Amino acid sequence: MAGVEFSRVRKEFGGFTAIEALDLRIEEGEFVSLLGPSGCGKTTTLRMLAGLEFPTAGEIRIGERVVNDVPPGQRDIAMVFQSYALYPHMTVRRNMEYPLRKRGLPAAERQASVLMAAEMLQLTELLDRKPRQLSGGQQQRVALGRALVRDPQVFLFDEPLSNLDAKLRGHMRAELVELHARLGRTMVYVTHDQLEAMTMSDRIAIILAGELQQFAPPQEVYRAPANRFVAGFIGMPSMNLVDGRLAHGSGSWQFMAPGIALPVPALAETAVAGEACLGVRPEHVHIGAGELQGRVQLVEQTGHENIVVLAVAGGIRLTCRTPASMIPRMGDTVDFRIDSERVHVFAPGDTGPRLNLPA
Amino acid sequence: MMRRILFNLSVWSAVLIVAFPLFWMVVTSLKPQVELWARPPALLPLEPTLEHYLTLLRDTSFLVYFRNSVLLSTATTLLVIGVAALGAYSLVRFRYRGRESLAMLVLFTYLLPSVILILPLYLMMVKLGLANTLVSLVLAYTTFALPYALWLLRSFMAGIPEDLESAALVDGATRLGAFRDVILPQLLPGIISTALFTFILSWNEYLFALVLVNSDATRPLTTGVMNMLISSFNIEWSMLMAASVMMSLPLIIAFSLLQKYLTRGFGAGAVKG
Repeated sequence: MAGVEFSRVRKEFGGFTAIEALDLRIEEGEFVSLLGPSGCGKTTTLRMLAGLEFPTAGEIRIGERVVNDVPPGQRDIAMVFQSYALYPHMTVRRNMEYPLRKRGLPAAERQASVLMAAEMLQLTELLDRKPRQLSGGQQQRVALGRALVRDPQVFLFDEPLSNLDAKLRGHMRAELVELHARLGRTMVYVTHDQLEAMTMSDRIAIILAGELQQFAPPQEVYRAPANRFVAGFIGMPSMNLVDGRLAHGSGSWQFMAPGIALPVPALAETAVAGEACLGVRPEHVHIGAGELQGRVQLVEQTGHENIVVLAVAGGIRLTCRTPASMIPRMGDTVDFRIDSERVHVFAPGDTGPRLNLPA
Repeated sequence: MMRRILFNLSVWSAVLIVAFPLFWMVVTSLKPQVELWARPPALLPLEPTLEHYLTLLRDTSFLVYFRNSVLLSTATTLLVIGVAALGAYSLVRFRYRGRESLAMLVLFTYLLPSVILILPLYLMMVKLGLANTLVSLVLAYTTFALPYALWLLRSFMAGIPEDLESAALVDGATRLGAFRDVILPQLLPGIISTALFTFILSWNEYLFALVLVNSDATRPLTTGVMNMLISSFNIEWSMLMAASVMMSLPLIIAFSLLQKYLTRGFGAGAVKG
């Protein structure tokens, strides 16, 4: 068993800096997702951990061992690729056997491991087929099987579910969670899909432009986003972000924007009056009664709830969730209130840090 | 129906036009000397004979030329494929300064007519002490087969997903091991078509062979047969045709054996992923 640690890791491609200075400590047995928009450096981070890219500076450890100069095959890791990367000219059996062969295991042991993994993944019937004779879901399982047979210290996943259809994806998510519970191995999972990250991870590392934005359990990332980017990135529909001003008066803070004036809860000592950004989750905007007014611009009915977009003064739009039974009419002006205990305040800028103390 | 017949008719006439010289070559090689100039010519020999073949094999240096050609073409093919496969791998997988211009430069050498290259090449071979050897021909053939082979294999190589190789590396293979276990099997159709192309090119080459070697012990089939059977005053038609048949056989056999890979190869090169 081994954890993973990045310390001050930097990666440049030619003149382009993909990773600035990454510090990340993953405990042993933990399931960690690297989440971020495409091109943010999450795949580069994973490939450096795999040994397929080499860091320009800094140190990567697996367990106690510094692996900067260790070739991929000797890192005791297994990786599942987005494209599955099954060897087309080998049968399923040979594919799963390949890593064991490369480690010089005797035939009997190889067979036993392959059969065990195949049984676990319900691949026994398919062992003598070639990859092209399998469906996408089956190919995915073979890729998983090839990683499993080795019983590695760390599993790496590079967007393994993104080529599957929605239903199968949901199914495989559950299976991966189960697998993690059963094996108890460290798993590092790269994705741009927040649903995957939220549902499977012990902790999520959110990365933007090669910089770590927040590294915390899913609930914490949702409830107390560390900065404006995380706030907007996590959550569907995403958090309402309103630019306005913070004002200090008679011992309490007030947030003001056209059509909105709101007392805000405890702020950090670094908070100063001036420009700021207010973040409100759609579930914390309540239509019905309240001192604020907005015009209903759009109603989306999803079945178990409705997503309503309100137009407030000054071009501000607020998304809110309402129960399925409450369907406002488009064009109507309605009263609403914002749950001021649950709002977030951020400093200005795309990655402006959180100013209020977590609720 | 009419359309179909017309279509078949035109296809078959095309086949016939292409096949007739080949047919005539075989027929002529089997005709005894007396029938050769008969008027009107007979479509099939009245008394087929193998005497021309036997004369060639028994009384001339044909077999020496044949051996030279086999050695020459095989060595050239192996050398070209070896260098081109590794070169293509480098051009596709590694990023380094001037990679694209290097690839273009290689192709640029094709723009020079070989007649221009032949004299400097000859002088170089003399300086290297390789004049009049098979090695000089192997090197010369490599210079003109390699650029094309490199580009052909490069496009095949580009069609092989990089993830495959990464997967093999993570699975415990060395870079060379990954190349052998994973890349090479994927590249096989490309290698076969490129090898066939190179082999044919060197098998049929005439100009370089004419200039670079001039002793019977080192002549390949093309110049050897020419030298032996065609003089200013006389052409030994029946022997020439017999020699031509025997020259064509290796290629025909190779083609029929490798046809399967060849068509698959064209498909693999076109469709990525």
